[in-house]
Amino acid sequence: MSGRVLTRLAPVVLVLAASLTACGGDGDADQTSTSSDTASDTPSDTSADTPSDTPTESSDAADTVAVTVTREGGSFTPNGERVELGVDQALVLTIEADEAGELHVHSTPEREIAYEAGTSEHKIVIDRPGVVEVESHDPDVILLQLEVR
Amino acid sequence: MILGPATVGGSISAHGLGGAKDLPIPSELAIAGAVAALVVSFTVLAVAWREPRYDAATSGRPAPAWLDRLVSSRALAVSARVLGMVFFLYVAAAAVFGEDTLINPFLGTVYVLLWVGLVPASLLLGPVFRAISPARTISMLFARISGVPEGQGLYTYPARLGYWPAAIGLFAFVWLELVYPSSTDVGPVRLWFAAYLGIMLIGSAMWGTTFLARADPFEVYSSLVAKLSVWGRRDGALVLRSPLANLDTVVPRPGLVAVVGVLFGSTAFDSFRESTPWLKLVQSMSTSRVWPDTLALIAFSAGVALVLAVATMATGVASDTPRRELPNQFAHSVVPIIVGYIVAHYLTYFVEYGQQTVIQLSDPFSRGDDFLGTADLQVNYWLSTHPTFLAVSKVAAVTLGHVVGVVAAHDRAVKLLPRRHQLTGQLPLLVAMVGFTVGGLYLLFAA
Repeated sequence: MSGRVLTRLAPVVLVLAASLTACGGDGDADQTSTSSDTASDTPSDTSADTPSDTPTESSDAADTVAVTVTREGGSFTPNGERVELGVDQALVLTIEADEAGELHVHSTPEREIAYEAGTSEHKIVIDRPGVVEVESHDPDVILLQLEVR
Repeated sequence: MILGPATVGGSISAHGLGGAKDLPIPSELAIAGAVAALVVSFTVLAVAWREPRYDAATSGRPAPAWLDRLVSSRALAVSARVLGMVFFLYVAAAAVFGEDTLINPFLGTVYVLLWVGLVPASLLLGPVFRAISPARTISMLFARISGVPEGQGLYTYPARLGYWPAAIGLFAFVWLELVYPSSTDVGPVRLWFAAYLGIMLIGSAMWGTTFLARADPFEVYSSLVAKLSVWGRRDGALVLRSPLANLDTVVPRPGLVAVVGVLFGSTAFDSFRESTPWLKLVQSMSTSRVWPDTLALIAFSAGVALVLAVATMATGVASDTPRRELPNQFAHSVVPIIVGYIVAHYLTYFVEYGQQTVIQLSDPFSRGDDFLGTADLQVNYWLSTHPTFLAVSKVAAVTLGHVVGVVAAHDRAVKLLPRRHQLTGQLPLLVAMVGFTVGGLYLLFAA
C-alpha cells in the first residue's frame, strides 16, 4: 500500500522539485548578473547587441526611458500606464501642464516632483526592484506604474 | 529637477502605507505553482486515506508538564495582558497626541504589526491576540470591578449569530484599509478603533467574553490562524498537534464561511485594485473610486463565500447531515489557502514596513524622540532586492497552503460524506480550491 502511495506521489514530488530547482537556477542567474554588472545596462539589450553599437549616443538613449505627462484642465494623461524600467535606469518625465502642481513618486522612501505651468523635464532613478506608482494628488490620479526590475 | 526624499511631514497621501510594491511574479513560476496545485489536489484525492484521520478528542501529544504549567500559569497570562495594555496605551497616545503624518507609528502598528503581524504571531505561538487583546483586558477589569463572575455577561450569546459579527468587523476593517481614501489619515483610523473598542466593551458587558471570541475581528482571525500552529488544548491540557490535526479542531459556527470569504476576498481585491485594467476603469469614471471599489470588495468577498457554499453543497449527503451545514463544516480548509496567499501578498510589506514601523515607534509624537532606542536603525531591504527569491517564496507559500487545505478538506469529506459520495462529493470543492489558488497566483502574476 505504501509503495503504491509513493509511486503515485512521484509526479507531485517531481513537479515540485522541478519547479523549485528551475526557479532556484533563475535566482542564482539573476543575482549574479545584478551583482556583477550593477552599472546600467538591461540584460536583454546587452545579450543581443553590445559590441556592434557605437557606445556613446545609442547606449545613452537606451539608458533612459522617456514618458510625457500632460495636465490639462485638471485631467491627466496617461491614466495608470505601466512603464518598464531598469534598476538605476533613468526615467525622463516631461510634464506639460497648464497649472503648477506636484507629483508623488511612491518609491521607498517617497519622493515629490514639483512642477510649474508649462513644459518641464524631470528625472527619476529608482534603485530597487518593485512597482512604483507615480501619482498626482488633488485630484488623486495614478498616472504611471513603474515596473522596476 | 527637484527630487529629494519627501518631507513626509505635511503630505497627506491617498495612497496606502508603504512605498514600492512587489513586482508581478514571473509567468513560469505562476504556471509551475498552478500545475503543482492541480497535480497535488488530484493525487490527494486518489491516494489519500479513506478513513478520517483527525479527531479533536484524541489527536495531539501532551506537551511537557513544565511547558503546560508555564503556558497555563497566571503569571504568564497577567504579563501578557500587562504588555498588551502598555503597548496599546503607548500607541493610543501616538494616535491621540501624535501628529497626523504618515510617520505616526499608529498607522504602521495598525496596518502592519496588528493586521499582518497577527498571522505569523498566531502561526508560531497560537491564539496570541486573545492573550494580549486590550478589549479583553479592559472588559475583564470592568467585570472584576463590578463584581460580575469572570467571562459572564447579562445574556447568553445567541448561538445562531456565530461568527457573523466578526465577519462584519473584518469587512469594516478591510474597507477602511483598502477602499477608504483617507485610510492613512490618523483621524479616521483612530475613530474606527474607538468605535471598535466601544462595541467590544458593550458587547462583552452584554454577552460576556464569548462575544469577544465570536465578534472581535482580530481575535477571530488570530484564533483561526492559530489552528495552523502546533499548539492546541485537549480537555484543558496543552497538546502538540500537527497543523493538519489542529486545523480539524476549528469549531464550525454560523458565519465562518463569511469570515473566510472576507479574509480571502479582500486580499485578492487588494491585488486586483492595483491591476492596470481596473485602475484605468475606475480612474476614467467621473465619480470617485470609492463606489466601484466598495462594490468590487463586496463582490470578491461574497464571491469566495458563494463559491465555497455551492461547491460544498454540491454533493450527496447522508440523512443525518443537513446540506446547509456543509459550507461551515468545510470552511476551515480554506484557512491554509488564505494564510499561504497572505504570506505571498504581504511578505515584503510586513518585513520592510514592519521594520519601518519599529523605527517610527521610537518617536510616537514625531518630535525626534528616541524612546525605544530604535530610531536610528535602518530598514533592511534585502527582500526587495532579491525579486526572484521573493517570487519563489510567494509561489511556494501559495502552493503549500493549497496542499494543506486540500488534505484538510479530504479528511473532512471522508468523515462527513456517505461512502459512495466520498470521492465524487469532494470534486466540486476541489475544483473550487484549485480555482482559489490559481486565481490567487494569477493576481500575483497580473497585478
